[in-house]
Amino acid sequence: MWFKLALTLFSREFRRGELTIILAAIALAVLTVFSLSSITERIRLNLEQKSADFIAADRRLSSNHDFDDRVLTTAREFGLNTAKQVYFDSMLFANDELILGALKAVTETYPLRGKLTLRDSLNGENYQVQAAPKKGNVWLSEGLFYSLGLNIGDVVEIGAGQFTVSKVLISEPDAPFFSLAGNKRVLINYDDIAVTKAIQPGSRVFYRLLFSGSEQQLGEYYTWLKPQLKSNQSWQGIKDRQSPLGENLARSESFLLLAGLFGIMLAAVAMAVSAKRYCERQYDPVAMMKTLGGSRKTIRRIYLLHLSLVTFFSVVVGLAIGYGLQSVGAAYLINFMDTALPEAGFRPWLLSIAVGVVCAMMFSLKPLLDLFDIPPLRVLRRNLGDTIAISRIHMALSVLTIFGLMWLFSRDIKITAILFGATLLLMAVLYVISRLLFSAGRKLGLSPGSSWSLAIATLQKRANANAVQLISFALAIKLMLFLVVLKNDMISDWQMQVPEDAPNAFFINIMEQEIQPMQSKLDESGIKHEHFYPVFLGRVNALNGEEFARRVSLQEGEEKDEDAREGVGRELNLTWLDELPAGNEVVDGEWFDDSDALQVSVAQGLAERVGIKVGDTLSFLINSQTIEAKVTSLRSVNWGSLKPNFVMIFNDKIAGQFPVTYFTAAKLEIADTKVISQFLKAYPTISMIDIQSQLKQAQSMISQVSLAISFVLSIVLISGSLVLISQVQASLAERMQEIVILRTLGAKGRLIKLATLYEFLLLGGLAGLVAAVVSDIALFVIQVQTFDVDGRLHPYIWLLGPATGATFVAVIGYFMVANTMKQNTQGLLRKLA
Amino acid sequence: MSVLSQLNMIQVKGLTKQVSTVEGNLTILSDIDFTVKSGESVAIVGASGSGKSTLLSLLAGLDIASKGEVHLDGESLQKMDEEARAQLRAEKVGFVFQSFMLVQSLTALENVMLPAELAGDKGAKNQATELLEKVGLSHRLTHYPSQLSGGEQQRVAIARAFVGKPKILFADEPSANLDSKNGHLIERLLFDLNKENGTTLVLVTHDEQLAQQCDRIIHIEAGKLEVIKQGAAVNVV
Repeated sequence: MWFKLALTLFSREFRRGELTIILAAIALAVLTVFSLSSITERIRLNLEQKSADFIAADRRLSSNHDFDDRVLTTAREFGLNTAKQVYFDSMLFANDELILGALKAVTETYPLRGKLTLRDSLNGENYQVQAAPKKGNVWLSEGLFYSLGLNIGDVVEIGAGQFTVSKVLISEPDAPFFSLAGNKRVLINYDDIAVTKAIQPGSRVFYRLLFSGSEQQLGEYYTWLKPQLKSNQSWQGIKDRQSPLGENLARSESFLLLAGLFGIMLAAVAMAVSAKRYCERQYDPVAMMKTLGGSRKTIRRIYLLHLSLVTFFSVVVGLAIGYGLQSVGAAYLINFMDTALPEAGFRPWLLSIAVGVVCAMMFSLKPLLDLFDIPPLRVLRRNLGDTIAISRIHMALSVLTIFGLMWLFSRDIKITAILFGATLLLMAVLYVISRLLFSAGRKLGLSPGSSWSLAIATLQKRANANAVQLISFALAIKLMLFLVVLKNDMISDWQMQVPEDAPNAFFINIMEQEIQPMQSKLDESGIKHEHFYPVFLGRVNALNGEEFARRVSLQEGEEKDEDAREGVGRELNLTWLDELPAGNEVVDGEWFDDSDALQVSVAQGLAERVGIKVGDTLSFLINSQTIEAKVTSLRSVNWGSLKPNFVMIFNDKIAGQFPVTYFTAAKLEIADTKVISQFLKAYPTISMIDIQSQLKQAQSMISQVSLAISFVLSIVLISGSLVLISQVQASLAERMQEIVILRTLGAKGRLIKLATLYEFLLLGGLAGLVAAVVSDIALFVIQVQTFDVDGRLHPYIWLLGPATGATFVAVIGYFMVANTMKQNTQGLLRKLA
Repeated sequence: MSVLSQLNMIQVKGLTKQVSTVEGNLTILSDIDFTVKSGESVAIVGASGSGKSTLLSLLAGLDIASKGEVHLDGESLQKMDEEARAQLRAEKVGFVFQSFMLVQSLTALENVMLPAELAGDKGAKNQATELLEKVGLSHRLTHYPSQLSGGEQQRVAIARAFVGKPKILFADEPSANLDSKNGHLIERLLFDLNKENGTTLVLVTHDEQLAQQCDRIIHIEAGKLEVIKQGAAVNVV
C-alpha cells in the first residue's frame, strides 16, 4: 500500500514542479560530468594513439648494435606484434649523379602504428598506406627524384645493389619532425640490406625494434626484457605531449575539467538548497501522516522511494542529454583533428552515474532525516520543526561531498584544493561583509516608505538567509568570471603562439653562400622571414665525463618533449646564437658571457630529466670530433609555439669549427609560391618544409576550443541560474507574506516592485564585487600553478563582476517574484493559509 | 479490561505538562483528571493560551505528558513509544483540524483514503467515496485542495476523520476558519456523522454555542480544569 501511495505522491509532486529544481540540478551535474569526461577521455585516447603513430609503434627498443634474436622471438611469444628497422647512410647513384641518402630498411610489418604517405608519381595524389617496400624496390623522398633526375620505374644503385624506384615517399609516421635529412629519405625492404653491402664493420648503423600490443602484454614483456637491457639499448614509450597541438589540447583539457568542476559545484549548491526546500514543504504532509497513524517506517519508505525515483530520472535525463552533447562535440572535433575519436569506454558512464547518485544522497540526507523526525504535534503547533537556517551538519556534509566529487572528477588534488580553498575564503569574506553591510544599513536612516529603505530593511531582516544567498550568488558569479577570464587569457595566449603572421614554411639546408641571395630574394618579394639559424648535427654523449646512454636508457615511458622523437642519445639539431631567442627565458644561470670558453645553454625540461645543472660540463660528438662545453644557463622553452626551438644552444665560439647549414622560416602567401619555386630551382639543395596544414589545424583548434568553452560557460550559467532560482524559491513563502502585509498596509505595487528590484540589485552587485576580488586572486594562483603561464590581475572583472552580478541576480530574482506580485492580496492570503 | 474501562473511552489522571524555557519550567497543564465515556461528546473550552490545544495533543498521543496518565480505550499512552501511539491512532482515532491539514498533492478522494492506506486497508476507496457523498462532495472527488473552498476542504477533512470508523474523534476548532454558514454546516455534519458512527467526540473550541451542542463541557483556565458541566445536548435529551 505504501508503494502505491508513494508513487501517487511522487507523480503529483513531480507534476506540481516541486521536484524540478532537484531534478534539473542532478541532471545538470550528470550531463556535465558525462559530456566533459567522455570528450576529454576521447581526446586523451586519440592523443595516445597519435603519439603511438609518432614512433610507428606502442614501444620501441633502440640501439646502435643489432639485437639478439631472442628479444624479438620472445616478444612474439608474449603476443606482441613486431617490426624491425635499420638506419644507415649510403650513397645513391643514378644518371651520373651521386648523393648520400639516409636509408631505412624495414620489415614488411612496418609501420605497426600510423601510416606512410606516398605518391605513385611525382605529380600524383598523396595517399596513405600501412606498408613497406617489396624486395628489390625502393621508395625515395621527393628531393632525391630531382637531385638524381629520377622517375618512377627507373633504377637506382644503392651501395652494391640495384633497386627499382616504385613510390614517392612523402612522409613516414616516425620520421623526425624536423630533420636535415628530411629530403633524402630512402626506404627499402629489410631483406635487401645485404644486397647493398653498405653495412661494414665500423659503419654507423642504428637498429630499432618496434612493438605493439595491449598495455598488459607490453608490461609483461618489459618485465622480462628489463633485466637483460644493455647500456646501449633504450626502451621508449609514448607520451601524449608530443606536439604543439598535444600540449595545447592537454591545457584545454585541464581547462574543461576545471569548468566541469564549476558546473558540479553550482549544481550541488542548487541541489542542496532545493532538497532542503522540498523536505520543508513536506513537513505538513509528514506530520499529518504521522497523526493519522503512519509509522516512521512507512514514511521513510515513501520518501526514500521519492529520492530514488528523482535520482533515477535525473541520471537518465542527464546521461541522455550528456550523450547527445558529447556526440555533437566529438563530431566537431573530428572535423579539425582529421581523425575519428576512439570511444571513451566505461569511465564517463560510471563517473557520471556515481556523481548523480552521490549528489542526490548526500545533499538530501540531512533534510530527509529532519523530515523523518517531524513530530506529529506540528498539526497543532504549526511552526514545530521549522529550521531557520541550513543546519551545520547539512552544510558540512554538502561541503565534504563537493570536495570529494571535485577530487574524483579532476583526479588532481592540487586544482581541487586551490578551487576549494578559494571558495571557502570567498564564503568567509562574504559572511563578514554581509553582516557588516546589514548592520551598517540600519544606521543609514533612509526615509521610511522609500523603495531603497524597504530594500535595505528586507536585506537586514533576513540577514542570515541573505548571508547564505549572498554566498551562493557570489559563488555562481565567481565561477562565471573565472571562466570568462580563463577563456580570454587562454585564447590570447594561444593566439600569441600562433599569430596571424606566424611562419608557415621552413627552409633548410641553406649553405652559407646561399644566405645572401636568399635574403635578398625574400626581402625584395616582401616576404617576412626569420633570422638565418646555423644548424649542425651532434650527439650529447656525456655529462661531467659520465656517458649518457646508461643514464637514460632504462627509463620506461619517461620521455619529455625535448627528445620525444630522437632521445638524447640520438643526434640533435644544434646551433649557436648571440641573443636569447624570443619565447625563451633563462631560469637558471646567465646567458653567455664574453669569455672565449665554449658555453652551452640547455632547455630546462631536458636538464631536469637528465640532471644537468649550471656549471656542468657536457661532451658532444660532432662529426666524429668530441668537444666539451660548460653549461652556463638553463632556459624555459615554449614548445607549444610553432617557432624554431633548440634544446642546446652554443655561444658563437663554436662557429667555424664544423661545417654547418642554415635554416630560416617565412610567412608565405599564395602569390609567393611561384617566386619561391623559381628560386628553389636555382638552389636545388635548399629544401622547403610546408607547415601550413599544421598551422591551420592549430588555428582551427583554437576556435573549436573557444566553442567548447562557450558550451561549458553556458552550463555554468544554467547552474548559476538554478542556484538563484532555488534560493529565491526557498524565500518565496516569506516574500508572499511580506507582500500581503505591505499591500494591506496600503503600499503601492510600484513601491513593492522597486524595493524587490533594488534588493536583488544590491545583493547581486555586492556578491559580484566580492566574487571578482576572490576570483582574481584564485585565477592568479591557478594560472601560475596549473597552466604554467604568467599570473596576471584582471582589473576589468572588478567592474564586470558587480555589473553582471547585479544584472543577473536582479533579472532572475525579479521575474521569479514578479509572478507572486501579480496576484491579488486575497489570492496570496489563501495560498499562505 | 474492566467493564468500567470499556465504558470509559478516555481516562485522564493527574495529567501535567511542563515545558522548559529560559526562565525555568513553565506549567501549561496542571493535575487534570476527567473521563469521557464511550459515545460521549465532550467540548474543551477556554481562553486563548489556557492550554486546551495542549490537552488535545496529550489526549491524542501527539505529545507526551510530564506527569500523569492518559488511557485511550483502556490502553495507557504513557507506556507506548511514538510508533505504538501512531499505530493506536491509526486503529482508533480520527482528527479534524482548524486549518484542514489536507495533503496538497492528493485529490479529495485520495486525502480521504490516506488514513486507510497508511493502515494498509485496501478497500478504502469505496468507503471514502461513500463518505464524500455523505458530506456532499461526490462531484469533487478528483479535485485538489487548492481547487476547493474552505468549507469544502473542511468537509473533506471530516470525511477523512471518519474513514477508518474510529472509536474516538478529536476536533480542534473545526469551524474557526470558516464563515458562519459553512461553519454551521460543518458542525452539523460532524455531529451527525458522530452519532451515526457512535464515535466518542472530543472537541476543542472557544465557541460557547458549539460547545453547548456537546454532552459535556470541560472548562480549562490557566492550565487547570475549572468546571465540568452538562452541555445543552444532554439537557435537550
